[in-house]
Amino acid sequence: MGLFTDFYNTVAKFFRPQDDENGGDSSKSVATNRLKLVLMQDRTNLTPKILEQMRGELIDLLSKYVELDKELLELNFEHEGDQVALMLSIPVIRAKDEEEIEAAINNSKQQEDSSDDADENSDEEFVDVTDESSEQIEKNSDENDSEQDSVDEEFSENTENATQPIKKKSKKTSENIEESEENLQEEVFE
Amino acid sequence: MTGRVIVITSGKGGVGKTTTSANIGTALAKEGYKVVLIDTDLGLRNLDLLLGLENRIVYTIVDVIEDRCKLKQALVKDKKNPNLSLLAAAQTRDKTAVNADQLKDICEELKKKNDFVLIDCPAGIEQGFQNAVSGASEAIVVTTPEMSAIRDADRIIGLLEAKEEIENYRLLLNRVRPNLIKSNEMMSVDDVVEILSCPLIGIIPEDTGIITSTNKGEPIVNDETALAGQAYRNVAKRVLGEEVPFLDLDEPKGFVAKIKDIFAKLKVKV
Repeated sequence: MGLFTDFYNTVAKFFRPQDDENGGDSSKSVATNRLKLVLMQDRTNLTPKILEQMRGELIDLLSKYVELDKELLELNFEHEGDQVALMLSIPVIRAKDEEEIEAAINNSKQQEDSSDDADENSDEEFVDVTDESSEQIEKNSDENDSEQDSVDEEFSENTENATQPIKKKSKKTSENIEESEENLQEEVFE
Repeated sequence: MTGRVIVITSGKGGVGKTTTSANIGTALAKEGYKVVLIDTDLGLRNLDLLLGLENRIVYTIVDVIEDRCKLKQALVKDKKNPNLSLLAAAQTRDKTAVNADQLKDICEELKKKNDFVLIDCPAGIEQGFQNAVSGASEAIVVTTPEMSAIRDADRIIGLLEAKEEIENYRLLLNRVRPNLIKSNEMMSVDDVVEILSCPLIGIIPEDTGIITSTNKGEPIVNDETALAGQAYRNVAKRVLGEEVPFLDLDEPKGFVAKIKDIFAKLKVKV
């Protein structure tokens, strides 16, 4: 596993923008990054903290199934026609095999077992989760809910406002995107 | 004849909407098309100054709306090019003197007898913007490679998306400084296009010639040697549907050589 990653990183280094090597702090890249973040907020009304949290959870979730380049993962809201779409660009280094996936799932399950008194039925849920990724999203965020109650309270006001503009804007969005966006927000932050 | 109505807008002030309107309008007129420029910045009119027509204005758009004159009487012909005329904004009134329907009617009337109606939109996203956009079916969003201008452009793009009348909009990136891009101190054209995910219609380099051309009241497209003039002429061609390559300004190496190249080409032409 490590070999793959090392190799990928060596190759990827050549393709990353140059300012990454200068520490990425040229005033241009600072501006670009600040702007990208502020536009995500403008387009969705989500706060930076929530966006970062969403990104983190997505990475955790996806890492169970594929080995991905976390640095290059891009999360962005873009205008698509008259709607806003959530664009995810996920550089996959390689897919994991079944054993690794199971190990990763067990691993995360154990972590949650130890970190809080996990739901009694979480065991059963996590076994057949591999097949249906949509369920996975829901259940995963359910699990996280309990951990993040304190954080959520802080944000509950924001999120209530935040869900509205998306609904308005994405009137005709392909239902998948709309649903998944709403799922994410409602499930994770309510 | 049914002309095209294009609104030139930006959200943020001072990014070059009026300069862009004057130059694209003049360039299209030079290509032989009949063009009317409408200044919708009521109370803060400036398009007349950039065209050098400030002393010829008798009637304004408000006079037309309030029936003090005919539409034809209010159109001021350009000094050099009879294809180009200006419908000036009223300087003594504010944005409430005109409403969206009235402006729409004027555009409908003008597009019967002209190939292009270009609307110079005021800054902001309030009534003035709503009015200016109402009659148009196309938009050019002007921005500069600065965070505040890009953020405002993003907002404008969102608003344009919501307007059914606007069939297409394109981005014009103004005041680009290749040397700053080269030293990683300014966002590059690619950065801006990626962030706004909006098709590009032009890249205009920062050019001190703009200042002198404004001083003289003569759009820079009339200056055959100016780089910004060349860039605006290219924009006009793209408006006409021609495929013109963008001036390659942010080539990492040999920028000076490129400029020299462009000048050399221009000299050959002249």
